Amino acid sequence: MGVISAIGNSVAENHQSLKNATCGVSKEFDLFPTKYAGLLPFGQVPISTEDLQKQLLVNDPGVTRTTLLALHALNEAIADCGISAEEIQSFDTALIGANTVGGMCLTDELYNDANEKTDGSDYLASYDCASVNLYLQKHFKIKGIINTINTACSSSANAIMYGAMLMKNGYAKRAIVGGTDCLAKFTINGFNALHILSSDNCTPFDEGRKGLNLGEGAAFLILEKEEDIKGRKVYAELTGYSNANDAYHPSSLSDEGDGPFLSMQGALKVANLTADKIDFINAHGTGTENNDEVESKAMIRLFDKPPAFASTKGNIGHTLGASGAIEAVYSILSLIHQEVYANLHFKNTIPSTGLTPVQSYTKMPVNHIMSNSFGFGGNCSSLIFSKV
Amino acid sequence: MLYIHKTYCISAQQDLLQANIELINEAVDKKLLAIEPSYEKIPPGILRRMGKSIRMGVGAALPLISETDNIDGIIMGSANAGMDDCVKFLNQMVQYEEGQLTPGSFVQSTGNVIAGQLGLITKNKGYNITHIHLGLAFENALLDAMMQLNTNQSNTYLVGGVDEISPFHYNIETLAGSYKKEDISNKYLYETDSPGCVVGEGAAMFVVNAEAASSIAKVAAISTIHSTDIELLKQQLNLFLQKNIPAGENVDLFLSGENGDNRTLPYYTACETLLADDTAVVRYKHMVGDYATVSAPGLWYACEFLQQPVPEHMFKKKTSKTEYRNILLYNNFKGLQHSFILVSNL
Repeated sequence: MGVISAIGNSVAENHQSLKNATCGVSKEFDLFPTKYAGLLPFGQVPISTEDLQKQLLVNDPGVTRTTLLALHALNEAIADCGISAEEIQSFDTALIGANTVGGMCLTDELYNDANEKTDGSDYLASYDCASVNLYLQKHFKIKGIINTINTACSSSANAIMYGAMLMKNGYAKRAIVGGTDCLAKFTINGFNALHILSSDNCTPFDEGRKGLNLGEGAAFLILEKEEDIKGRKVYAELTGYSNANDAYHPSSLSDEGDGPFLSMQGALKVANLTADKIDFINAHGTGTENNDEVESKAMIRLFDKPPAFASTKGNIGHTLGASGAIEAVYSILSLIHQEVYANLHFKNTIPSTGLTPVQSYTKMPVNHIMSNSFGFGGNCSSLIFSKV
Repeated sequence: MLYIHKTYCISAQQDLLQANIELINEAVDKKLLAIEPSYEKIPPGILRRMGKSIRMGVGAALPLISETDNIDGIIMGSANAGMDDCVKFLNQMVQYEEGQLTPGSFVQSTGNVIAGQLGLITKNKGYNITHIHLGLAFENALLDAMMQLNTNQSNTYLVGGVDEISPFHYNIETLAGSYKKEDISNKYLYETDSPGCVVGEGAAMFVVNAEAASSIAKVAAISTIHSTDIELLKQQLNLFLQKNIPAGENVDLFLSGENGDNRTLPYYTACETLLADDTAVVRYKHMVGDYATVSAPGLWYACEFLQQPVPEHMFKKKTSKTEYRNILLYNNFKGLQHSFILVSNL
């Protein structure tokens, strides 16, 4: 596994920050000029794009921050897993990545190139989301199946699912899966126009929640089939996954929460588990009025008495296309260390649901953990990771 | 494998199998713009707010969904759906200096907007996903459908590929040198020896399941690779043929994605050298142009050629065969993303 976020540049740093209930979201922001700098809190990865380039020894022109974050996380995952260059380059190693921002972080360059105000910048091939994985393909010389998925905020959960499907169907022996997204003026203004950005730190599942905070980061995981592990360390088993659509509204969830309910239910079915076997839910919990109430209701509908749950959006913000992968890493940390992390900034339960998330770092037995990701376009996905 | 039961295609040609090259639609300003239907199935209030790719995608899918009993999931491939709205929102943001912006374009700017809208309009709560991997976005959608059907054998899925010539995307690709600089007619696309293609757009949709009965075609196999190495590509094609063409059979028709770009032509000719003497070679991009998800109309053509004759002007090489059992599609996007799709009759 590899991860980079507002609370750490590695799995170890993220783990320590989660244990310490560190909040990486603040109004200190210096990535690019925006009217909202200092006004809205963001979960910024505290490394400049230039420093990322230097650290990663990237000299090619046209490489975006989205791609650099991905490369950072993937380097860590590869080193952690110990797979060889030969294995990465074999025809049966797939790379499935997700992102929603792509090169949209390059506001000025894109504006000028798209409106014919230049002779062309270095970034002409970097704007679309596929450019991240095309860069990683070239960098690591990957020959297996490569794909980019965009289901908005559930993108990287679907990347994990697609990687698992490729292996199950014999199209890959090994799948490198994950997601990345960086903060961009584009998404800041977009979510702001929808009036779902909180001017304070987000408070998932709290009665007085005022919206989400945007964050950035990346995570990659390397999946292998049980028979191909060859003595490598194994952190967890991906036992369940499911994707369903809420079919209600382009940018909000239905009151009944059919999409979240169906994705959670579908993941249980694939894992062949009954609801009572889930020990913990890593909730999508963005801190918006709509998401947290609907997700809670869907959990009550499926579980009757939902298990312990929490959202890490208070730690790192909503990392959009990266969130499913980053939170997969966090879920797996819970399984490895038999512990769960605090849902930050919570005060009062939502009256209509009466649900209280985990509020402090807690040691507890965790055998099966469910991780939710829901996105625009009604795209809901749930994953289940199990202890090995 | 999967079986195709219904198809719908929107492209630059009203008559996609126009037999007379003199009657095929010509590119306007070197753009093969889609001939759009009247979209009777899209509610007018929603239609007005839709960008072109969303309109084409939803408009091509709805007729198929409405005549199919039950669609269990929607699987889309689109490299740049939402791109136009994305730059519209960006322009608004720059012009109003991040002032009070309307979120309409932002919500429609996400790549998953077509599948999302289809889920919403048809109240489809099943599997819903969008593959956006540029020149292999549609291929991954098709592969996804195969895998879903392998697990859920009684299901039926809608699979499609959609992309538009958005003005902003066109500007970026023009700066990147993707299109022909000289004035040429798409009718004589293959007579050019210069870099660049003629851009196209469109939407092709397929209703697929695991049932052979009453189907139009079988998608027997797909293979994709990223490489600029012609030798590696040839190796991949040989492996693909060995693995997937039944003993005693051959590729009867090679549906080539040749696009008039002299930078990618060597890949297409390299593939042709590996095929048998009696393999017909057929081209289609003078009809629909070239774009990231052009394999979707390519697959539509393959389905047609299992049922009816190939127009003369589409042949690069004609053979004595008039009926085809195995059709191999090969597409190459920007010299890097390659796909082979084997389509056969049952």
